[in-house]
Amino acid sequence: MALKISFLPYKIPSFPGSQDRSHRVSMASTLRSPPTENIKKPFTPPREVHVQVTHSMPPEKREIFDSLHNWAEENILIHLKPVEKCWQPTDFLPDPASDGFHDQVEELRERCREIPDEYFVVLVGDMITEEALPTYQTMINTLDGVRDETGASLTPWAIWNRAWTAEENRHGDLLNKYLYLSGRVDMRQIEKTIQYLIGSGMDPRTENNPYLGFIYTSFQERATFVSHGNTARHAKTHGDSKLAQICGTIAADEKRHETAYTKIVEKLFETDPDGTVLSLADMMRKKISMPAHLMYDGVDDNLFEHFSAVAQRLGVYTAKDYADILEFLVGRWEVEKLTGLSGEGNKAQDYVCGLPARIRRLEERAHARAKEVAPVPCSWIFGREIKI
Amino acid sequence: MASISATFVGFGASVNLSVRTDNQIIGKSSSLVSFGLPRTGGFPSIRTSRLQICAAKPETLEKVSAIVRKQLALTPETELTPQTKFTELGADSLDTVEIVMGLEEEFDISVEEENSEIITTIQEAADLIDKLVEKKA
Repeated sequence: MALKISFLPYKIPSFPGSQDRSHRVSMASTLRSPPTENIKKPFTPPREVHVQVTHSMPPEKREIFDSLHNWAEENILIHLKPVEKCWQPTDFLPDPASDGFHDQVEELRERCREIPDEYFVVLVGDMITEEALPTYQTMINTLDGVRDETGASLTPWAIWNRAWTAEENRHGDLLNKYLYLSGRVDMRQIEKTIQYLIGSGMDPRTENNPYLGFIYTSFQERATFVSHGNTARHAKTHGDSKLAQICGTIAADEKRHETAYTKIVEKLFETDPDGTVLSLADMMRKKISMPAHLMYDGVDDNLFEHFSAVAQRLGVYTAKDYADILEFLVGRWEVEKLTGLSGEGNKAQDYVCGLPARIRRLEERAHARAKEVAPVPCSWIFGREIKI
Repeated sequence: MASISATFVGFGASVNLSVRTDNQIIGKSSSLVSFGLPRTGGFPSIRTSRLQICAAKPETLEKVSAIVRKQLALTPETELTPQTKFTELGADSLDTVEIVMGLEEEFDISVEEENSEIITTIQEAADLIDKLVEKKA
C-alpha cells in the first residue's frame, strides 16, 4: 500500500504534482538562476528543484559559536568514544585470518537465506544512505561558525565534525561487507547507486546556518536510531541474531550522536530562544528531507519513493515515526515552556507544538485511503519484485 | 532594511517568500499550484479554472470561506474573494490538505487525491463540492 499523499515527510519536500519526475526537472529549467538543461534526458538522477539559499544566519551570530568553544569541549566532545574503545566492522564479520573463515561465511549466508527480499531492500537503502557519508561531512562543513576551516582545524566544532564522520564511517563499511558476503543482493547495482548518490549530494536547506543544521542533524540522528533499531528487531525475528547485533550496535552510535546534537540545540534555545524557535519552525515547514532522497540506480526513476514505501510498509521508518520524532524533540527542548518570544517567535512556537498532531491526523487519513499498487522490480535484488 | 525575494518554479512547485529584516528571517514558505505572482500582483493568472462549467451555490461559497478562515486563522478584516488563492493567504501544503479534510467533513464527501491537488481557491473548492454533492444525490 503506497501512501500517495503529497505531504509524506520522507518524500522530497513535496508539493502537488511533484510525482512526475520529468515535470520536476522541467521546473528546474524555469529557474532564473543556475541554468539547467531544458529537456529531461531519460535515466538521469533526480536533482534538487528548490532554489538553494545560502548564508541565512546573520554574520554576528557566528560569535555565539565562537563563544561556545569551551562549552562544546566540555559538553559535546565527551559524547565521542575514544577510538581504542570503539567497535570495528571486523568485530562482526567472518575473520579472513582464521582457518574457520569459510565456515563463518557459510554460516552468514545460511542465516541470510531466511530473510525476505523486502527486508534486504530496506537494509540496502539504509546502507546506501550510510555510504553517502562524504555528503554529510560536506554538509556539516558548509555551516557557518562551526565548519572545519582547514580539514585539521582544532576548534571543538571541527574536532567533533571529523570524529563524528570517523565514527559514522564504520557503519557503511560494516553493512557493505555484510551485504557483500550475504550473496542476497546485487552489489554492482548497489555500488552504482552509491556512486550516483554521492555525485548528487543533497540540500537539506540548512542554508549554511548552524541553527538549521543542528536541528536537522538532531532529527536525522534520531531517525536513524529509530530506523536501525527497527531493522535490528526485524533481523532477530527472521533468525539472524548477528545481523540484529550489527544493526543494534549502529543504532547505539546514532543514539549517542543524537544526544550530542540535541544538546547543542538545547544550548541554542538557552542562548537565543527566539532565533532557535524560528529556526525549528522553518525547518519543519520546509520538511526534514531524507539524506538519500536523490538516490538513483540507473533503472528506477522513483527509487527513493519505492524504498520509502517499503520502509513504511515494514514499519522500519514511517510517517508516524516522523511525527513521533518531532514530538520527542519538542519535548526534549521544552519548546512549550519558552517565554519572552517575539510575535513571530510565538507563532513559530505554536506551529511547532501543534504540528505532530496534524501530521498524525494526515497520516491516518492517507493510511485509510491507501490504494493497492502493483509490485515493482528492484535492481538491488536482481530485478525481483517487491510490494510497495 | 527589508528585502523580499520571491522565486517561482512554475506549476506545482514551492514558492519561498522570505522577508529578511535586520536580525531575523521570517520565512514563509507556501506550496503553490499556479503560475503568476502571488500577492504582489502584476502578471495575470495563466491557469484557467477547469471548473468554469459549474457555478457554485452561494451557500457553498460561504461555508468554504468559513472553513478557510478557520484553518488559516484569518482576522475578520482579511478580504476573501472566490478567486483568492489559499497560498496568497499564507497556506502551506499542510494547510491545503487540512482545508480539503475540513471540506470533506463539512459536506460529507470524499475528495480524490487528483482533485484535491487542483483546489487552490475558494471558487474551485466550492465548484468541486457542488459537483460531488450532486453526484451523491
